Amino acid sequence: MLVLTRKVGESITIGEHIRVTVIAMKGNQVKLGIEAPADTQVHREEIYARIIEENQKAAATSHQDLSTMRDLWRRRSTTGRA
Amino acid sequence: MRIETTRFGPMDINARMLIHFPDGLLGFPDVKNYIIFDHDQDAPFKWLQATDEPALAFVITDPFLFVPDYQVEIEEQDLQALSVSDSSQLSTFIILTIPAGQPTRMTANLKGPVLVNGENRWAKQLVLTTSLYHTRHPLLATPGTAG
Repeated sequence: MLVLTRKVGESITIGEHIRVTVIAMKGNQVKLGIEAPADTQVHREEIYARIIEENQKAAATSHQDLSTMRDLWRRRSTTGRA
Repeated sequence: MRIETTRFGPMDINARMLIHFPDGLLGFPDVKNYIIFDHDQDAPFKWLQATDEPALAFVITDPFLFVPDYQVEIEEQDLQALSVSDSSQLSTFIILTIPAGQPTRMTANLKGPVLVNGENRWAKQLVLTTSLYHTRHPLLATPGTAG
């Protein structure tokens, strides 16, 4: 990993099109400003990781469990929805 | 065209019904083509089935049925990625997770909704920045009323 030291207000550039600027520091938090082309996805890593994990779980849903779910939904719908 | 699926067996689908995710879904970047079909007619659950990955399918639903005030903040870059000229072209779905054998513990991923441009059938999974929504929102759960 390349490690660089920067002060508030200073930037690093990645390739020709991406610039990351240190906007502010407060305690152990660093506020970063990111300029990148629209088609470059930028995410907070932990949120991104959580969605990947959830997608992987969601992909394991079985046909049978959804049918059970569907029956519950129907019962709920016919007895009046909350 | 005919596709193979693990859950539903072989299916004949109209190629014009394909949904294309240029970036795939998060965690599945290489799987770009899907089809959406109803689980059955009387309940609001649909399947998002990969057309070239037989085992890969997700349950999706209309978020507004469950979370009426759900709001998706769509950024300019998302509109561009889907070539959306008019936001009325967009449909929003959320992906459900149903733990094996425990369907009442179904949750919805409100943090990563799927947008579909009905016009060109391109789609994208967003990552919402708001802290209002979570990846495991319980859908049925008001404790005490379940069952």
